[in-house]
Amino acid sequence: MALHDQLSALAAELASALTSASDERALEELRIAYLGRSGKITEIRRGIGKLPPDERPTAGKSINDAVAGLEAQFAAAQQGIELRKLDAELERTLDVTLWNVPAPLGSFHPIRKTIDDACTYFVRHGFAVLLGPEVDTTRHNFDALNIPPDHPAREGFDSFYLRPDLLLRPHTSPMQIRAMEAYPPPIAIVVPGKCYRRDAVDARHLYQFNQIEGLQVGEGIHFGHLRGMLTGMCRELFGPRQEVRFRPSFFPFTEPSAEIDTTCPGCGGGGESCRTCGGSGWIEIGGSGMVHPNVLRAVGYDPDVVSGWAFGCGIERLAMVRYDIGDIREFIWNEPSFLEQLA
Amino acid sequence: MRTPLAWLRDYVDLPAETQAIVEKLAMLGFPVEAVDSPPPLSGIVAGKLAKVEKHPNADRLFVCSVDIGAQKPLTIATAATNVAQGQVVPVATIGAQLAGGLKIEPRTMRGIASEGMLVSANELGLEADWFEDGIMQLDPQTPLGSDVVKLFGLDQDVLEVEVTSNRVDAMSMLGLARELAAAFGTSVREPDSAVDYAAGGEFSVEIESPDCKRFVAQRVSNVQVRTAKTALRVRLALAGQRPISNVVDISNFVMLETGQPLHFYDYERLAGRRLIVRDARDGERVKTLDGIDYTLAPRMLVIADEQETQCLAGLKGAAASEVGPATREIAIEAANFTGARVRRMGSELALRSDASARHEKALPLALTDVGAARAARLLVDEGATVYAPHGFGQAAPAPPIVALRKREVRRLLGYELESAEIARILESLGFSVRESAVAHDGVFEVEVPLWRSDVTIEADLVEEIARLAGYDRVVAAIPPTGQQAIASEAYEMQRRVAETLAMLGYREVATLALQPASVHQRWGTNAVEIANPLSEDQHYMRFSLIPALLQLRQDKIFEIGDVFGDAGEIVEKTHAAFVRRTTAPQAQSWSDEQFVALKADAIAFVRRATGRLPDVRAAKHHGWHPGICAELTLDGNTIAIAGALDPRLGVQFETDGRVHVAQVDLAALPAPVVPRYRAPSRYPSLSRDLALVVDLGVSAQQIETVIGGAVDGLARTIRAFDEYHGPQVGAGKKSLAVRIVMQRDDATMTDAEADTAIEKILGALKSELGATLRSG
Ligand SMILES: [Zn+2]
Repeated sequence: MALHDQLSALAAELASALTSASDERALEELRIAYLGRSGKITEIRRGIGKLPPDERPTAGKSINDAVAGLEAQFAAAQQGIELRKLDAELERTLDVTLWNVPAPLGSFHPIRKTIDDACTYFVRHGFAVLLGPEVDTTRHNFDALNIPPDHPAREGFDSFYLRPDLLLRPHTSPMQIRAMEAYPPPIAIVVPGKCYRRDAVDARHLYQFNQIEGLQVGEGIHFGHLRGMLTGMCRELFGPRQEVRFRPSFFPFTEPSAEIDTTCPGCGGGGESCRTCGGSGWIEIGGSGMVHPNVLRAVGYDPDVVSGWAFGCGIERLAMVRYDIGDIREFIWNEPSFLEQLA
Repeated sequence: MRTPLAWLRDYVDLPAETQAIVEKLAMLGFPVEAVDSPPPLSGIVAGKLAKVEKHPNADRLFVCSVDIGAQKPLTIATAATNVAQGQVVPVATIGAQLAGGLKIEPRTMRGIASEGMLVSANELGLEADWFEDGIMQLDPQTPLGSDVVKLFGLDQDVLEVEVTSNRVDAMSMLGLARELAAAFGTSVREPDSAVDYAAGGEFSVEIESPDCKRFVAQRVSNVQVRTAKTALRVRLALAGQRPISNVVDISNFVMLETGQPLHFYDYERLAGRRLIVRDARDGERVKTLDGIDYTLAPRMLVIADEQETQCLAGLKGAAASEVGPATREIAIEAANFTGARVRRMGSELALRSDASARHEKALPLALTDVGAARAARLLVDEGATVYAPHGFGQAAPAPPIVALRKREVRRLLGYELESAEIARILESLGFSVRESAVAHDGVFEVEVPLWRSDVTIEADLVEEIARLAGYDRVVAAIPPTGQQAIASEAYEMQRRVAETLAMLGYREVATLALQPASVHQRWGTNAVEIANPLSEDQHYMRFSLIPALLQLRQDKIFEIGDVFGDAGEIVEKTHAAFVRRTTAPQAQSWSDEQFVALKADAIAFVRRATGRLPDVRAAKHHGWHPGICAELTLDGNTIAIAGALDPRLGVQFETDGRVHVAQVDLAALPAPVVPRYRAPSRYPSLSRDLALVVDLGVSAQQIETVIGGAVDGLARTIRAFDEYHGPQVGAGKKSLAVRIVMQRDDATMTDAEADTAIEKILGALKSELGATLRSG
């Protein structure tokens, strides 16, 4: 048989073989059989040696052309297989509603999230965030805050003592003293942190809780700045329509002093049988006021030159309102379902 | 403080709506915690029992003819036993509504048509035990037919008002009336204290202790002890005070009205007819009015006669000189004591009273005279003879003058107020204001009223002004903040640590920092003790975050918090701890996938928190498995400890599974550095694997370090990736597979270069660690 016919037959034979090659493995086997080291093409090439020398170049070229043709066939077959695979893949249908469970995320505790969000607001306005020790002296906790021994207000702080003059801080306010003793005015800080009071644990009380303290002292700082910053913090935490109102109160370390209320996020201030605010439209979030001149004097600031405000808010209270949590103990139970929901 | 609106209205005109009053009080700084509304009452009038006869058909019933000021008396049958002719009593007429929902209808009692019902105090919404057993008795002078409910304010709400500890003046009806009068722009009707004192009535009080600052004493004779007037009894009862007798009730009434606690002694039972204020004698005993025996100590202050204690100063009187039905003459005490001493005494004796609640705060000295005079007046109204008061101890100081600069109001509040408004506000609260013209600055000289002992400085006056002007007038503003001089690094580090652990898939938890003794005992350490724990469960401070995390029995959780140690001084550190827990069984004794996973987290953690990759070395730490514990270090300093929990602690804390724990002391973390980018080489790399045999004690880190050192910079990654123990390598040995990837920055690495490098590496490994190539 002439070389030409031989190559044509081979191409035809491959074409028919490829029609039954359904996957890449079958394709590879055919490739070895035709184009492999001991394949059919190799066998034909060996025949070139028997030809007269002047025919050999033409024959070589014919074989090379034929190889290109076979390779094109293989490429086409390969493409066909890939298309069939895609078609098969496209055929698949899953019940995408099966097993709707979120992947476990690493997460922050809701208390940290609330602290961070509050701090973020203050940082944006140029405040520093300080942390302080939970064990502190009676001087930092009381005396320098204008609560001398035997002051009736000292009774309000039912504290855990480690030594006669050392206690677990019942509020974050000692950091006011530490900060002002360490830095000259002007000063603008917030201090988040744990506090402790000898409260029996129930749905509304934990003996261990978190506060965020704010303090700004400088020339020309007034009550309006306190209202402005607290309004901003509440908007950061609860939404853009929050308002803040003050009610007169008494704290030995501020004068004037004020309780802080913010619009109830539960009802948007509408009240009417709202279980978050009890119908008043407001929720109480902490205490505040203008820093008492005795406190400024205790840290060596001149109350005639600088003035300042301070506030303290309970983080658990903020977080309970924010996430609509009814029982403060949820924060320490650490139920995975609780932590996951708020992640 | 329980505040009956019916009583408040004696001194000030108030809106009818309770809510308006409640809101005003709140905005003045006196939040109302509760509003007690009376039951609906109607149709109850004062009636006189003109005739009382036995019921003809029933032994236990009386038939009364009751004059209610109408043309025809009512016939009313009653089962009450305390009725008698001539009494004036509350009468529920047909259609009347009583407490408890009872509605009066005509009915026939054993053949007699009863046209109403005689009423007990309880049926008027009053405390049953505090009034007559049976039908309530009204003053004989009560106009017949008058509406009893309106007359005594039984339809008025009672407020529970919260008073801050600085405002002892507002722990009284007059104090709250003054606040409301100022807020509503009206004035207070001061009660009448005018008395013509009788001549004589000498009385001596010796004050031996500086803790009695003032003592106003006053003798009263011709006392007739009986039931007090109805209006007074009802006011006391609504305020939560049990009415006792006209005399005792007056002392309570004056305390609640003016804020000055009083004590009345039966004068004739005072030995030596005089009083001495002194320290108690050690072991001295006293029985108080409520019949309780107390043993005293010299820390306590008492008022005694010549023989024994007659009163615990500021707390409670003694039974020995109690005013009773036979009392004919009394001595009034209106005193002022050091608040702290009364408070300490009260807490030591576990005794508190309405009097001590006031004495504990800073009562003004001048109030003693006010209280004594008011009591005198009320006793005169009861027919007694009152002698002139005697003041002992310090005289009440002149009212202080506080200077108020107008600009200070603006400086603190941030908004301007007119001088006239400032003056008006202060005057409405009882301050006297004089504005003096000082250069360009308005200065007010403000005289503080005697009852406002809390106002001593300028800022106090600014608060008064702000309060009355309304805190709503404070205008919200964003303050200026300059260049921040204070670094937030501790907070930022904590945030970075929390963020990193969350990125690694850990969930943050929060546990309690106070623990029972069993925790540190099981852990085998000591802990900082709380001196005054509420319970044994909260007796010690946590020394580590780990025990509480173990008890949660969760996988991939972390906590950041302070832990406490006692090294003579209390040491407080901020730790982060993260935990993996699995119940899957252990595969090989020398490998631990959980540990590898935890360590990978720890390394990633250090890198993200500090910007640098740590070294790892084996270590031993209490709490961790002695053979599976690694330290992560930077510059030789330990940054974190990571390993398997000591299995003995696993048993102690019932972890019920394998637990791996890492702990970081946040103070040890260096401030993060910004990592520098190193562009990858453009030339291909060569990779060689070595199977080494080394002694069991040789660590992968040591091998990696030696390899890195041997071919300085050429080895781009060196990683021991497989460990094998077994017969093929022999006892005391292990096989480690190490992959070394080599690369040059300036040219393609040749096989020959790689071979040379491997030679050098093998030489160094052999000489430094005794490592050989594994054969076969
Ligand atoms: Zn609400």
